[in-house]
Amino acid sequence: MRRARIFHQGRDIWATAAGDGSFLTLAHGEVIPAASAQWLPPLTPGASVYALGLNYADHNKELGFSPKMQSPLIFQKGGNAFVGHNGNTLRPPDADQMHPECELVVVIGKPARKVKEAKALDCVMGYSIANDYAIREYLENYFRPNARVKNRDGATALGPWIVDAADIANPQALRMETRVNGKLVQEGNTADMIISVAGLIEYLSSFLTLMPGDLILTGTPQGVHFCNPGDLVICEIEGIGALVNNLVSA
Amino acid sequence: MIVGTIYGVALNDAEEIERLRTSFSAAPYNAPPLSPIVYIKPRMCATTFGAAIPLPKDESELKLAATVALTIGRDASRVEAGKAMHHVASAGLALDVAIPFESYYRPPVANIARDGFLPLGATGAVGIPDEIVTAIDDLDVHCWKLSRLVRSPAQLIADLSQFMTLRAGDLILVGLPGDAPRARLGQRIRVTAHGMAQLTTLIATENAL
Repeated sequence: MRRARIFHQGRDIWATAAGDGSFLTLAHGEVIPAASAQWLPPLTPGASVYALGLNYADHNKELGFSPKMQSPLIFQKGGNAFVGHNGNTLRPPDADQMHPECELVVVIGKPARKVKEAKALDCVMGYSIANDYAIREYLENYFRPNARVKNRDGATALGPWIVDAADIANPQALRMETRVNGKLVQEGNTADMIISVAGLIEYLSSFLTLMPGDLILTGTPQGVHFCNPGDLVICEIEGIGALVNNLVSA
Repeated sequence: MIVGTIYGVALNDAEEIERLRTSFSAAPYNAPPLSPIVYIKPRMCATTFGAAIPLPKDESELKLAATVALTIGRDASRVEAGKAMHHVASAGLALDVAIPFESYYRPPVANIARDGFLPLGATGAVGIPDEIVTAIDDLDVHCWKLSRLVRSPAQLIADLSQFMTLRAGDLILVGLPGDAPRARLGQRIRVTAHGMAQLTTLIATENAL
């Protein structure tokens, strides 16, 4: 099952998508075309969001970092950062080095504390897609990647929906790609994560409790492509869907 | 229950900045900071009513940085400093706990983002005290004069809100003293400031909680 959060007739609601995803079913049975839905990020209020930097060896090499970090590079995000499927993200006029980052998102389904890797996937409710833009001009070497790069309003697209974990047989074998105006700019496979989904849950839950609704953005593969206002950016992950974002002038 | 995001800022203490100034021009920093240095305490950090702080196995002491937590009452986006405090609904004492760390290069998530690492006092009317006193086992060990803040709370909200909306329900920790005291297992902590509800807690073993 796929669950989407949409704005419908004055309310934020959850809906489910069936079949090829071109229709959404609302709780009271009404069916609406997905094409006319106003998509919100599928995020629970108050959720804690953990994001991985440098979790794909090919991307690390591209940026000039060692293939494997001594300890995982994790940063966090607030609720302001997210925008839903088909939404707009602002590109500041001086952000010549703003690039999309396609990432597999893990949604936690039950409290996880000191969970071992072998049992970790039992704590996953589902998966989604993030496009976690970065603006390289704004990087500073304090708590890097700093908030001005990674916690900007609406600069992390999330969606279109959450796919049930039961529908993803192996989260470490999913093709992923980013297209900008139809051109392939980022290509990878979740098989190439340095720390797997289960490994990330073991690591994080070794010192904190992951709660239902919390998200883990698991990092991005190689392919740094600088974008322009007006670009149509689509991040797609096999078995989950395609997340559409429009980059617009700030 | 906190429904927003809990933001803090590092290196907002003028004395700490002065002490570290020469290191800012060297690797890995290579330049002094420009934007506020933001960190997030996940929701499981926050505790109230005097709950104990869990001391992780393998650690002998924790750094205890007293500060003020401001609760945002109205979304603040691109606000000016002169009007920033209009967006704050309430204020209370907070104790930002960390496993001591030296480097500000990467977010020290495993040091700061732990369950129970942010005891909060009761919240009350908006106000910034002149100083916050931390006592360990009834002995005053630290006085945090908020005149040391590089960015005042109003300036901080204004600067953050230029790129990230502070939303109703979010908490802002206004800054940490670079010389925050440390405490060990079993010690009792009391944080007080004029006009604010006091905060008390203690350090317990992780397994005892």
